[in-house]
Parts: sequence; structure tokens; C-alpha cells
Amino acid sequence: MATAEALDDEINDLRDRIATVQAHRANLTSILLSQPHFPTRLEQRPVLHERDRRNAVKLVQKQSNRNLENIYRACAGVTAYKVKDPDPCAVDNGNILGVRIEVPINGIFVETYHVLFNRPNATHRTMLRIHKHTIPPCIPLQPLANKWLPVTKKSAEEPREQDLVKFSRHLRKELVSWHLRLEALEKLRKDARLPDRTAPQDGSKVETEIEMVLNAFVSDDEDSEVEDEATQQQQDGALKILRVDGDAAVREITITWSNGRVGIFRVTKDGEVDKVAVRTKEGTRDASLSSKALGRIEGLVERLEA
Amino acid sequence: MAPKPNTTVPDYKNVPHSHRLPTTHREVRRTFSKLSRQSLVSLALQWLAKKNRDFCRPYLLGDRDADEEEDDEQYTPAQSYEELQEIYKELAARKGGKREIQDRILEGDWRAGVSMYQLATAEIQYLLDHPNSLRWTAKRLARIPNAKNVSLDMEVTNDSEHLPRFQAQTFMANLARELTPLMKAHYLLIKIKTMPMTILRVYIHDSPYSTEASLAVDNGSSDSARAVFFIWPNGSPFIYSSIANHFGQVISDDGRHLRDIVQQAIPKAFSRPSVRYQLASTNFTTKSLDALLAYRGPGKSNAASGGWSIFQDHNFSQNALDFITSHKDEGQEKNGTRKDGTAGAAKAGPGRPKRTLEGNETSEAKRRREVAAGRFGSSAQPNDGQGLERVEVRIDDAFPPMPNPLEQADDVDTSNISEQSANRSRRGRPSLLDRSLDEIEELEGGDAWVPDVRVVFQGSHVFAGVRQLVEQGVVDGEKMPGWMTGEAGVTIGAVKEGRIRTKSGQIPGV
Repeated sequence: MATAEALDDEINDLRDRIATVQAHRANLTSILLSQPHFPTRLEQRPVLHERDRRNAVKLVQKQSNRNLENIYRACAGVTAYKVKDPDPCAVDNGNILGVRIEVPINGIFVETYHVLFNRPNATHRTMLRIHKHTIPPCIPLQPLANKWLPVTKKSAEEPREQDLVKFSRHLRKELVSWHLRLEALEKLRKDARLPDRTAPQDGSKVETEIEMVLNAFVSDDEDSEVEDEATQQQQDGALKILRVDGDAAVREITITWSNGRVGIFRVTKDGEVDKVAVRTKEGTRDASLSSKALGRIEGLVERLEA
Repeated sequence: MAPKPNTTVPDYKNVPHSHRLPTTHREVRRTFSKLSRQSLVSLALQWLAKKNRDFCRPYLLGDRDADEEEDDEQYTPAQSYEELQEIYKELAARKGGKREIQDRILEGDWRAGVSMYQLATAEIQYLLDHPNSLRWTAKRLARIPNAKNVSLDMEVTNDSEHLPRFQAQTFMANLARELTPLMKAHYLLIKIKTMPMTILRVYIHDSPYSTEASLAVDNGSSDSARAVFFIWPNGSPFIYSSIANHFGQVISDDGRHLRDIVQQAIPKAFSRPSVRYQLASTNFTTKSLDALLAYRGPGKSNAASGGWSIFQDHNFSQNALDFITSHKDEGQEKNGTRKDGTAGAAKAGPGRPKRTLEGNETSEAKRRREVAAGRFGSSAQPNDGQGLERVEVRIDDAFPPMPNPLEQADDVDTSNISEQSANRSRRGRPSLLDRSLDEIEELEGGDAWVPDVRVVFQGSHVFAGVRQLVEQGVVDGEKMPGWMTGEAGVTIGAVKEGRIRTKSGQIPGV
């Protein structure tokens, strides 16, 4: 058995090494293909088969296209491209304008979103309509489109000016600020020394589990003594933060302390905590803590613990 | 044990979590017999956890009266919660039948009754174990436009909100205020750890009393479903609703009616002063929770289904800092088909001379597979768990003036007509697809004859089936209209000029 395991280990080891070496080779290939004078040198050098040269030129072309595209994407943040709708019944012969929005966080691009436009109106050829998109519903796409893309309603008094650039700019702002808030929420969890949410916990073998009962307060008052006992035990320990939750758009953060105190913090889109309600277990407001919480989202936990 | 009230007076309270149903109650029996051994054990352990103990009192030794008989006791009551927890942990570790656990719960540790909380969690556990067990209808919470300040509604500012805000306490209070005059109910509202959603279960108690004794009474209507489920995915305006019926049981009008009452109360519970919501249909019904989360969920996939699924993942959009071109040939090819135009036709062209060597059959099959990949992208895989069972469309195009042998569309239509008409006579209820008066008027204005043709696709995964048909060459992948790839993201709709009709100005999937 031991030999089999050793062999397995060795095989896995080799696989890992193959993967690393392949990645290294791919990297070197793209570096080589990106050499500035590579195409000219390819032209000058004699080759055995003309076909090899053609293939090489094609590869260089592909690499330089990719380089150019990436540079635009990385520097501009919002880029446009054209695609073709394969649907034979698509409007406007399936011509689609795509807008691609990159979200950079901490020096890496974490996500790419697309909005795809078509031109439904045969008479007004410049009017765009959102055909497909990959924007999550917590981003206000509809209001933005209402504002910057013309509404083809009969009741619209004067046709609003279409402004694709402003639309994209605002959409990008929404997306990036959302990702920044997500990042800040993760940071708050770390500040509160909570276990990483994504890390597998001990209950990982159980597929779906009830996380939290939200209406436990509907329970009858009869049992309140028992409840108090349970929380009394918790109160003996040092006061600490049990949970830091945010809604999907991170516009509202809920912090639960071990003594039953709950704080709800409203966050604006640019990450400012602007409204706070902290309640103790008994239901009274904690005004001093509430006023402490106002400010940037980033230092929220430190301010609360100070 | 909760002291039993001596009098039963109609009141305005909800049914609390801790009220108990006798273990012989039909709902209890039915729910518990459906659960697997593993689920039963994990449920029992959850109930014994400290925070849930108030709602799930087991029968302990201390509960026994001194003068009670002990002879015919099958399970001796445990001394304490800790002992019980040990017992169930032991049971979880060893193998055995599920009957053993079921009996232990119903006849041993919870012989005095199963609380409403326990019943609710058990049903939700079953729902999570079998995500395809109920039929769900997706609705959307739509803001009722404010007549006074329309412009304010549309404004996107630094602290504007476009989604209904959900606060558990406020929501429950509002919902109870809407419903308690009409019925007594038990509510359980929970968040799920692994899926981004909140589940509300409403157990409808059709009685003016909210006492334990009244719960136990089985009112004669045997088949009526008493529980209704609502799910809202976090961070999206959608709500899925379903009646908790048991296998294959027909939902009675009573059950439907009760669900409608609860359903009407939900947008009201979400509303705030000057921010009113109503439920709008999204033309989407399915059994699969995964499909719901993909088509009406909180993520990127709502408005990019079918062939557009390549935009969701990194298949089409590589990282902007990824400069490596060499080892990603497969992904590149997919992009190529999309960019080159009509579904890979151009792609297959130059490659063809080489492939003739391999034989005509395989190259044709390969071409069809590429066409299917171009049309469906990464969606519609038979085992992706996002299958839609039924897709129904009405064709609103005018009848072609000449008996034109249109090979594709006609084949599909005729094969389904018999099934469809049979369907209608069986159902009796008006279909959602019946033309509205406006639409009929619109049709009568034109001079073309527009017959009422409907196409129904049924199966375990409709669009995976269509994809397979394309791969087999039964359906021509290049001439197939887009709605057959599932990119419209509806399960019911009207097709005009090859496209599913949508409201103008409405952006899909938000």
C-alpha cells in the first residue's frame, strides 16, 4: 500500500511540475512573440517551408492583437467591441455593440462585466437598446439606462439625449464602488477577527445548512427566563463581535455582538457610514456608539472597539 | 412545558414556534417519513443546539410525572440535552436505517409533540435536500411609480436605492399585520448558509384560534396544502413562490387561494411610505432552484443566458493582464465562432479541405457540434442542474400566404399541436398565453391571418434537449431562432418575427 501511495505522490508531483513548466513555456512564448522586431526578423530569415513562416506571422499577429487589446482594457477600464448575434431573427442583422467594464481592486482586475447593445429602431439608427448584459441586479442598471439611453415611449415628451459615454462611466462607477464595498466588508470581518467566510468550516460535509433564523423573536414570552440564562453565560466572556453581515449590495452592514447588541449601519455608495442604529439586547438605543460609527466604512470595527 | 391556556378565545396572535403538533398528525408523519437518515440526525442536532432549545423541547426524564407508568416505554427519556446530543452524535457516526431515527424522534425524544419550528425546519431541510421537489414561480418586486415626482424615482445618487430593502423584523411585523385578520399562521424566516437566499415558510392555520389544541385538530380537507414557501435571493428584486405540496398531489383551489392571500401581502410588507411595491410576473416557472438562481438570481447570469453565457465566465473575457495566447486555443476558437458571424459557418469553411480525409460523416458532426457551441455557449449542458421542464410559446406571426414548405418551423409546430390541444382540454383554466383583448384587436387590424399556434417543449432539461437535437442535425442550428436556445430567459412567452416579445424600455433580467 505504501508503495502505491508513494507512486501516487510522485505522479501528482510530476503533474504539478508539468503544469508549472507548461505555464512557464506559455509565458516565454508570449514574451518571445511580443518582441518588438520579431516580425521583421521573421521576414528576413530564410525558412525551410513557407508555411511555417506564415504560421509564425499569424501567431505574432495574434499576440500583438492581444497585447493591444489588453493595454486598452487595462488603461481605459471601459472598452467597446463588436460582436455578431448568431440568432438569424435578430434585429439589425445581429449587429451588437458590446461594452466591457473592468473592475480593478488592489492592483488586479477582479471581474469583467459586459453590456451588449443592439439597434432596434430602423429609422433612428443611432438609438441603442440594452440587449443582454452581465450586470448583477444589485446595480441600478435600469435607472441608469432610463437616464442616459433614450426611452422609446410614446409618452416621452422630448426625446432625451443618448449618451453612451456617460452611461458607461456611471455604470463603471457603480460597479467599482460595489466591489470596493465588498472588499471593505471583507476587511471588516478580518478586523473583527472572524473566520474567513469562504474557508471551509467543520460542517463542510453538510451541503446546505440553515444559517440563521431571522424571526426567532416571534417566540412566546413564556420562555424568556431560559433565554436570559443562556445569554447571561455569554455575557460573562469578553465582549466581542460575533457576526459582520452585509446585504448583497453592501449598502447595509449588520454587526452582532456577543452580548446581544445589534448595530445596523447604512453605507452610501462611496463607502461612508451615514446612518446608524445600535440597540442593546433590551432594545434601548446606544447613542454614543452610534455617533462613533459615523465616518468611513474602512475603520468601522476599530472605531467601535475603541 | 408551556402552560396550556384554559380558555380558547379567538385572538390576534401568530402561531408561535414552540407550539406543538401531536406526533400522529398527518403533516408531521408525512414530512418526517420523507427525510433521509442523515438529514434527520442533523436536524435533531440542530434542534438540540442551545439557541433552538426553546422551540424544540424534547421529552426529558424531568418531564415525566412521578406516578406515570414506565412499562411499555420503548425509549427511556434522556437525562439532559447533553446526553441527547451524545446519543444523536453516536447515531450519526454509525450506519443504519432511517426508520430507527424517525421512530426515535417521533416516539422517543419528542413524543410529547413536534413543535411548529421543528416541522418547519424539517420541511425546509427536505426542500434543500431535494431542490427540484417543488414548482416555483418567479415574480419581481416592481416599484409602483410615484405620480408626483417621477424624476426623483429615476435618479441614481450616492445614497439612492433601487431594490426593496429587506429588514427581517419590520418585514415580519408588516406581514403579520396584513395576514392575522385573515388567518392564523406560523412563520419561519431563515437564511441559508450555502445558497444566497432567504426562505420564508408560512404554515397556514385555518382557524380563529392560535392555541396548541386547535393546531392538533385535523380539519377534514385532507389534501389541501397548508404550507407555502417564498424565497428571495439576496440582492435582487425577485421572489419565488411555491405551494408545499406532496409528491404529485394536485394543488386544490383552497391551497392556491391561501397562497394568493400571502402573496398579495408580501409586496405590502416590503413597501414603505411613498415607496410602494407590487409583484410583477416574470414569465418564469420551473422546478429547479438552481435554474431559478441562474435565470432570476442575484448574479451575472440573469440577462446573459443561452449563447450569451460565454460573457458570464472568463471564457470570453480573459483577465486584462493575461497576455498569454498560446495554451488557450480552445477558448479562442469559441470566441472566433462568435466573432466570425453566423455560428461558426465561416469557421468551418477554410478548415474543410483538410477534414474530408477523415470522412464526411464526422466532419459534418463536428461542424454541427461547433454550431451548437456557438449558439448555446457554455449553457444547456444536460447535467448542469439548471433544467427547465416546460417551455411554452405562442407564435404570433402571420400565416405564410403560400403553402410554403418551411422545413424547420412547420415540423416543430405540427408535432406539438395534438399534445397542446389535449393539454388545453385537460386543464380547463385559462392559460397565461391566451391573447389579451388588446392583442386580439391589434391582430384584427392587420389583414393577415394569424392562427393561435402554440409550441410546448417538455422534458427534464428542455434546452439541453434542443442542443442535442442541433448536435444530431435534427434542428438546423444556424436557422434556429434565438428563443430556442433559451437566451430569452422565459418559460412562457409570445414569439413575433422570431423573437420573444418584451416590453419596450424594459431591460432583461433586472
